[in-house]
Amino acid sequence: MTGLHLLIPEYLLLAGAIAALFIERVSGREGAGAALGAVVALAAAIAAVVIGAQGAIAGGMLALDAVAVTVRVAIAALTAVYLLWLVGRGMGPERSREAVAFVLFAALGSMLMASARDLIVLFISLELATMPAYVLMGYRRNDERNLEGALKYFLLSMTTSLILLYGLSFLFGIAGSTSLVAIAAAPPAGLLGTFASVFVFIGLFAKMSAAPFHFWAPDAYAGAPAGSVAFVSTVPKLAGTAVMVNLATALVPHAPVLPAVLALAAVTSMLLGNLAAFPQTDIRRLMAYSGVAHTGYVLLALSSATPAGYAAAVFYTIAYVVPSMAITLIAAEEGTALDDLAGLVVRRPAVAWGSVVLLLSLVGVPPMAGMLGKLFAFTAAVSAGRLALVIVAVVMSVVSAGYYFRILRPIFFASRSDAPVLASSRSAAVAFSLLVAATLALGIAASPLLSYLGVRFF
Amino acid sequence: MLLSAIVFLPLVGAIASALLPKERASAARWIAAAVTAVDLALVVWLLIGFNVAGGMQFVENRTWVVQVGIEYHLGVDGISLSMLLLSALLSLVAVVASWKQDTKPGAYFAMLMLLEVGMNGVFLALDFILFYVFWELVLVPMYFLIGTWGGPRREYASIKFFLYTLFGSVFMLVGIIALYLQGGTFDITALAGMGFPATFQWWVFAAFFLGFAVKVPVFPLHTWLPDAHVEAPTAASVLLAGIMLKMGTYGFIRIALPILPHAARQWSGFIAALAAISIVYGAALAFAQTDLKKLVAYSSVSHMGFVMLGIASLTPEGINGAVAVMFSHGIVTGMLFLLVGMVYERTHTRVMDDVTGLSAQAPVAAGLLAFASFASLGLPGLSGFVGEFLSLLGAWKSGIPAAWVVVAAIGVLLAAAYTLRMVQRVVLGTPSKAVEGIPDLNVREIAALLPLVALTLVVGIYWDSLLRYVDPAVRATLALMGGS
Repeated sequence: MTGLHLLIPEYLLLAGAIAALFIERVSGREGAGAALGAVVALAAAIAAVVIGAQGAIAGGMLALDAVAVTVRVAIAALTAVYLLWLVGRGMGPERSREAVAFVLFAALGSMLMASARDLIVLFISLELATMPAYVLMGYRRNDERNLEGALKYFLLSMTTSLILLYGLSFLFGIAGSTSLVAIAAAPPAGLLGTFASVFVFIGLFAKMSAAPFHFWAPDAYAGAPAGSVAFVSTVPKLAGTAVMVNLATALVPHAPVLPAVLALAAVTSMLLGNLAAFPQTDIRRLMAYSGVAHTGYVLLALSSATPAGYAAAVFYTIAYVVPSMAITLIAAEEGTALDDLAGLVVRRPAVAWGSVVLLLSLVGVPPMAGMLGKLFAFTAAVSAGRLALVIVAVVMSVVSAGYYFRILRPIFFASRSDAPVLASSRSAAVAFSLLVAATLALGIAASPLLSYLGVRFF
Repeated sequence: MLLSAIVFLPLVGAIASALLPKERASAARWIAAAVTAVDLALVVWLLIGFNVAGGMQFVENRTWVVQVGIEYHLGVDGISLSMLLLSALLSLVAVVASWKQDTKPGAYFAMLMLLEVGMNGVFLALDFILFYVFWELVLVPMYFLIGTWGGPRREYASIKFFLYTLFGSVFMLVGIIALYLQGGTFDITALAGMGFPATFQWWVFAAFFLGFAVKVPVFPLHTWLPDAHVEAPTAASVLLAGIMLKMGTYGFIRIALPILPHAARQWSGFIAALAAISIVYGAALAFAQTDLKKLVAYSSVSHMGFVMLGIASLTPEGINGAVAVMFSHGIVTGMLFLLVGMVYERTHTRVMDDVTGLSAQAPVAAGLLAFASFASLGLPGLSGFVGEFLSLLGAWKSGIPAAWVVVAAIGVLLAAAYTLRMVQRVVLGTPSKAVEGIPDLNVREIAALLPLVALTLVVGIYWDSLLRYVDPAVRATLALMGGS
């Protein structure tokens, strides 16, 4: 029994991606592709929930453990919400059906990444998740700035992929196998193991835009359509965290220095991300730096190198990407400069108050998801003896309030007379409401998810 | 269920009032008045059913985030009851006082009610995470109240307020995590008296101190307060000074003392010193102010110093006094901010020299202002005296260096100086131009002030009306500290 039928969610996404390319031709309706994609992604999420945890499948190349299942469901669900938004808003001047296909491919790759237990599968699925992102980031093909950002993203992403691959090749050399299980079981390889592990993680840091390997993110995001950034900067990160959890579990025995490396990247990311986000005036750049900072908090949880810490990292990532996507979607609708948001509370009060929930969750104010995410990440880190890092983290979360309030300020306390009139879209409104509701629900009713993930300190 | 109803009833009102369509938004004030009145009635009902000697009562304890042991745990004792009553009463008063709020009334009254959810919750929560949720929840509506309906420098004041208090509370979160990992629970009552190691206690106390002291505020962490108060709309000032400052001192009494008794003794000298400095420094700054609202704001720093002094004494007298000052300061400063706001509405100035001679034009306003001022400076027979006297008594009897107590006592004198100077100019004096022809207080305004006047007299004359609730809870807290 290879268990390949357990990959039904992935098959659904694959079929949906191909169908999305053609359905608009057949039905002749703009947005049909996105609608189909949303339905397929939702079906994939439901299927992933039904299938649940299954252990190793496909001869051990994939494994559906609690982390993989959680991330899988989150990726599919978030993709569905994103595509629902796309139904209403589209990709600006470009037609959206290719975007739908690429989004589904990227989601497919991300889902495979989360369950990959084999270096080859891991790398291939990583590329499957990243390649469509190059196109999405350069989706405005007639906009030179956009293409420049996309090219930058492409070149740097390729480089970091190669760094990752370089590290992976050493791991294969150490264990004589591409299986993570075999690598974990192999005798510690001393300095070589450390060397390989650090390379692997540097590659992952770059993918996750952790400092000091984050430098591509602000430029790439600022050059891309905000609608693309909303997807590319969020959903693949879920997979990235899952991969880091899987690799850390396998590699910490080989590289005892790894938790310290994670801690170092955590503190650099928290400091640099939060401080650099402060002066930004472009929401995409601001969110790029805030993404660096949030990756820092994820790494902080990972650096505890305990099961509870790993689970906390996954929870934190979910709690971070949901509001982050919603904020970037607002930028896609209203304009990407902070000043474009001026007077939003008058024009669209529901969106304005929804953004309060989202931004406060990103700061870590209860009762939203972000607060529990921080609580678990900090608790895991303190219990692993990283009190100093946690002090940095809490001070930096106050700093983060400073720049998130720079987004709130124009929304509530400024006015704008030349605001473009936005056609109302029910599907976009539903998508936004779902993201806000999820941000609240993950804070107030987190119990089921936490028990599934195994966030437990005693 | 009663406590949950008291906490979450205003949330229902807030949602209802926020969802009102724009053209019907002025109905929000009626929703707010009804909700805060019913909430106050529920608190009074609680008060009637409260057993003075019964310790923690009306306890509700349900699991919430069961994986990490976060509970939905509420309960009320004499100390929290007095604060809860203050919170419910001042919320209603704040609603009545802002009856004429015509700028976005739906959102405004929603924010007032949301604020009440947080304030009520803080005084009832017995689980650390629940406590933290309510503690932070308070910041959001206050940020919008100052930022949207405040004075000219409202944006600066609101963000400063938010960041200062957030800075304090994130350290509190670190303290909570440390206690959780050491004690294995988020339950505040279960952690009390666990007897943690001395060094551990010292550091956790430091974390909590930052969180609470910013809120109180204790010198030198007080600089957000004058800005926030001056820019805040009247009702927000009333709730900020009346209740939110008390959250900090309440935290010391409910959390820091019983859970970290050893550290509390170690820190008491330092806290007493800061308290004495706050008293004198706040009073001196109040003396230098020409803006009435700033004067009241700085006097709050001074009065909250007495609360801290009483807490630092770690004696039954001192802590009873601390709670009494908290209660009295809540009602008296509420009155002062209301009156300053009412005068400002009429004269459009808060500069002391521009609003002299009030008694000739508006005798009721002038009389009430004089009354509130006397209560504020601690005239015996009015509520302000009780607490300050007991705080000083407790501090004198305790191990606090006598010098600090003497310094604090000088603060009483200074309070008389700046308050009487204000009364002399504003109430007496020759009527200034701005004051001429202004109408006296109307019935609604008097109705807002009257319950506060009554409580000032009742507590001032018959101390036991307050202390019979507070004292058993104070002794229970000290018993948890073991000895002293």
